[in-house]
Amino acid sequence: MKRVLIVDDAATVRMYHRGILESAGYIVEEAWNGIEALEKILNAPFDFYIVDINMPKLDGYGFLRELRQQVVPQAPAIMVSTEAAATDEAAAYRAGANAYLIKPVLPLQLLSFLSLMLGEASQ
Amino acid sequence: MSSVPMSPLLEQFLSEARDLLECSGAKLMHLEDAPNDQDVMNELFRCVHTLKGNSGLFSFPEMTRVLHAGEDLLGMVRSGHANYSRELADCLLEAMDFVGTLCREIEATHGVDASRARDSQQITEALHKWMPSLKTHPAPAGNGVAAAVSMGTPSIAANASSANGTHSVRSLLAGIPESTRKMALAHWRPGDALHWIAYRPLRECFFHGDDPLNTARQTPALVWGRVVAPEPLPPLADLDTYSCVVQFDLLTNAPREELDQFYRYIPEQVEIITIPSHWLLNSLENLGESRAALPAAPRRRSYSENDEAAFHKIIAAQRQILLLEDRPIWYAGRLKAVAAVLANLSSAAGHTCDEADIQAALADALSTGHPTLLLAWIDANPANRAGAALVSNDTSATAPAEMEKGAGSSLESGPGEVLADEGIKFGRRAEVAFSGPKSLKVDQAKVDRLMNLIGELVVSKNGLPYLAERAESQFGVRELSREIKGQYSIINRIADEMQDAIMQVRMMAVSFVFQRFPRLVRDISRKLGKEVQLVLEGEQTEADKNIIESLADPLIHIVRNSLDHGLETPEVRLAAGKPATGRLTIRAAQEADRVVIEVSDDGRGIDPAVIKQKAYEKGIIDEAALERIGDQEAINLIFAAGLSTAKVLSDLSGRGVGMDVVRSAVEKINGTVVLHSELGKGTTIRISLPLSMAVTQVMIVESDGQLFGVPMDHVVETVRVSGSNIRTFKKSQTAVLRGRIVPLKSLNALLGINAIPRMNSDDELAVLRVQTGGVEFGLVVDGFRETIGVIQKPLNGFLSGLAAFSGSALLGNGSVLMILNIREIV
Repeated sequence: MKRVLIVDDAATVRMYHRGILESAGYIVEEAWNGIEALEKILNAPFDFYIVDINMPKLDGYGFLRELRQQVVPQAPAIMVSTEAAATDEAAAYRAGANAYLIKPVLPLQLLSFLSLMLGEASQ
Repeated sequence: MSSVPMSPLLEQFLSEARDLLECSGAKLMHLEDAPNDQDVMNELFRCVHTLKGNSGLFSFPEMTRVLHAGEDLLGMVRSGHANYSRELADCLLEAMDFVGTLCREIEATHGVDASRARDSQQITEALHKWMPSLKTHPAPAGNGVAAAVSMGTPSIAANASSANGTHSVRSLLAGIPESTRKMALAHWRPGDALHWIAYRPLRECFFHGDDPLNTARQTPALVWGRVVAPEPLPPLADLDTYSCVVQFDLLTNAPREELDQFYRYIPEQVEIITIPSHWLLNSLENLGESRAALPAAPRRRSYSENDEAAFHKIIAAQRQILLLEDRPIWYAGRLKAVAAVLANLSSAAGHTCDEADIQAALADALSTGHPTLLLAWIDANPANRAGAALVSNDTSATAPAEMEKGAGSSLESGPGEVLADEGIKFGRRAEVAFSGPKSLKVDQAKVDRLMNLIGELVVSKNGLPYLAERAESQFGVRELSREIKGQYSIINRIADEMQDAIMQVRMMAVSFVFQRFPRLVRDISRKLGKEVQLVLEGEQTEADKNIIESLADPLIHIVRNSLDHGLETPEVRLAAGKPATGRLTIRAAQEADRVVIEVSDDGRGIDPAVIKQKAYEKGIIDEAALERIGDQEAINLIFAAGLSTAKVLSDLSGRGVGMDVVRSAVEKINGTVVLHSELGKGTTIRISLPLSMAVTQVMIVESDGQLFGVPMDHVVETVRVSGSNIRTFKKSQTAVLRGRIVPLKSLNALLGINAIPRMNSDDELAVLRVQTGGVEFGLVVDGFRETIGVIQKPLNGFLSGLAAFSGSALLGNGSVLMILNIREIV
């Protein structure tokens, strides 16, 4: 079973994403900012990351930049944001995201991205 | 009314919204004092931003619209494009209040009343007024759009529903290239909607954070679209790059709800027209071929289609990432992640053999610093092959049945398309991965239950000494008695610690009450035209939750009084040689086992002469007292019922409710209130409260063979007074105790017990010196017993009318002790 880390300062959004992911059988953990997320990945890296941009202490860009410098840097990461601006999208890619989705992410869309990026769709 | 069922997600949203609203309110107040504090500004922005993001998970367009405007405005303030001012803060506060109202409404009725749409619109417009770009270009929403449309394309927006309109849309369709129309038809299946969207972005839309081109392109199930310039474009040199001068015509077969959802932030800029599909058919010249292409079965939105769309998006994103030209230190990680995603995509599409190619391309990119091979791999391979594989699943003869089955089951077990679906099992694995702040939000009822249980434990524990006593005296087993006593002391210690622990849980910082004052003071002082600086101190001081909560109303009343009657207007203050800005200080501190809260202002103070006169006029004091009483006593008259000193009764402090209400509220929780005032200099009100009111220390007294409890808060001392020292003065008995004349009152007489106080063998009376509300007297009883801590229970039902008792408590031997309400019996 794949482990997914949700990094978001909004508890409601975390709960929403957790609900979607758990219904599809993923193991979910949450972090409410970049620092907490880094602490969690130092314990055990995850198979997938869903990262918000705007967070206190360490934002999503900062977290992804750190993640990509870790020992196990290749786990796919999706950045989620309420902003549809193209500049944000480019910044997300630059920081190390593999995809950029606009909140609210529809459940099936999120699951599609996850299963494809984790190489699971053909199972 | 749009109504949604109360799901755990909605509850979570409301709870978080409350916190965020509170936080943003506090930050706004903070900015009043320090408008340039960038950290606070960022925090505030984040609060509103998060709230907006959260609200987007539900369909509360009224709320989202206001929050969106609020966020935009804050974004402009933050970047220096709009100036922060009190009035702007007013507007934002009002918006936040509105959101708070909506939250409460959602909580109560699970929906938002339709009438809120208008308020929402008004508040949004008010917020927009503060955005500079919008002020200079009055919103062209209504007329502008229609005019613009008629210039470029036939008017569809204005006449969509009329007969004219149908013609226009038909002719519009004719304007779409035939190949596109064929394609649209190929994608279209019976039962599908076909929508024409006229998207007319506002000129200022960039300042709202909109990205019209992206929005247009992201339109769900987009079949065709074009960019229209309603007016001839000016020469390039004159082009204002900050205003949007183009518009969009789009054709989509997404369902209406999905489009409404997608354009929910800018409904006023979008016109959506449903096109009957036969128009599309009729508009095609070569019908035979196209009709043949129509599939027979209705299409179902299947998982695989989402996959297909996702697949292409992911591939496009990886290509975009590889094309980035920067080479940061995490570049290797970036490449590895892309390679991993590509490999996974490939295996998801069933091409396991690509793995080696990708690894080789990755190794090359890592060594050369140029992802040429990876890009080549993307261009050469998977987008077509893998994408095609997914598509072929959908269209081939045998696969669809399986896919359908698979999709069906994944839909059933999955969360479905509906947001906030109740079927989603939220927080199922909470125990596996609990994270977030290291504190728990616990229902108060649970804490209260624990508290009650511990209370009962304390009471039944107190039964053990009686048992030990009986073991020895009644059954003569001294050994057992000693063991029971030993066990008792252990249980006693644990029970005490438990009680202490639960008290800690119930402790709350006074900031809970204090935090509402900045806003209150601000609003009231502005209403009154006064300048007031509020100083809060000791906000972290803690006390029992009940104490803190019952403190709120009296404190608000005191603060209102200070603002209303105490502090002067700037002119008066300047004339009196004071700074124009008044100062109101609310200070909390712990002193021994009590919490002390002081509210002081540097206003005009209380004039004892005015109070005396007023009290005399109202019949509270007689003529003799008018002459006799001193200044402090006169000021204390402010606590008497029905006294109001303000010449103009304002709507703030209200009529008839005065400091007497404050005093009784404070005394109800065993507190005291003292007022000091100096004419012209200011007033200080000091409230002293117990830290906790769960356990009351009472002294047990005996009278006529019965036991009564007297709260220790009232007890000054216990004395024995010799009968010869009691004087009868004006029909009432008095005694001189420690140099003061103290009136004596017999408890028997006060309670209507028909017995005279018993004296001891030395002809002495037992007198409990008590005080309440500044009055001191001696309570004559038959004898004193021990002091114990009891959990006081209020009198219920039939007994609740007994004013002489404030409650009852259980004693260790199981009997009931009535606690006297000293204030009421005198």
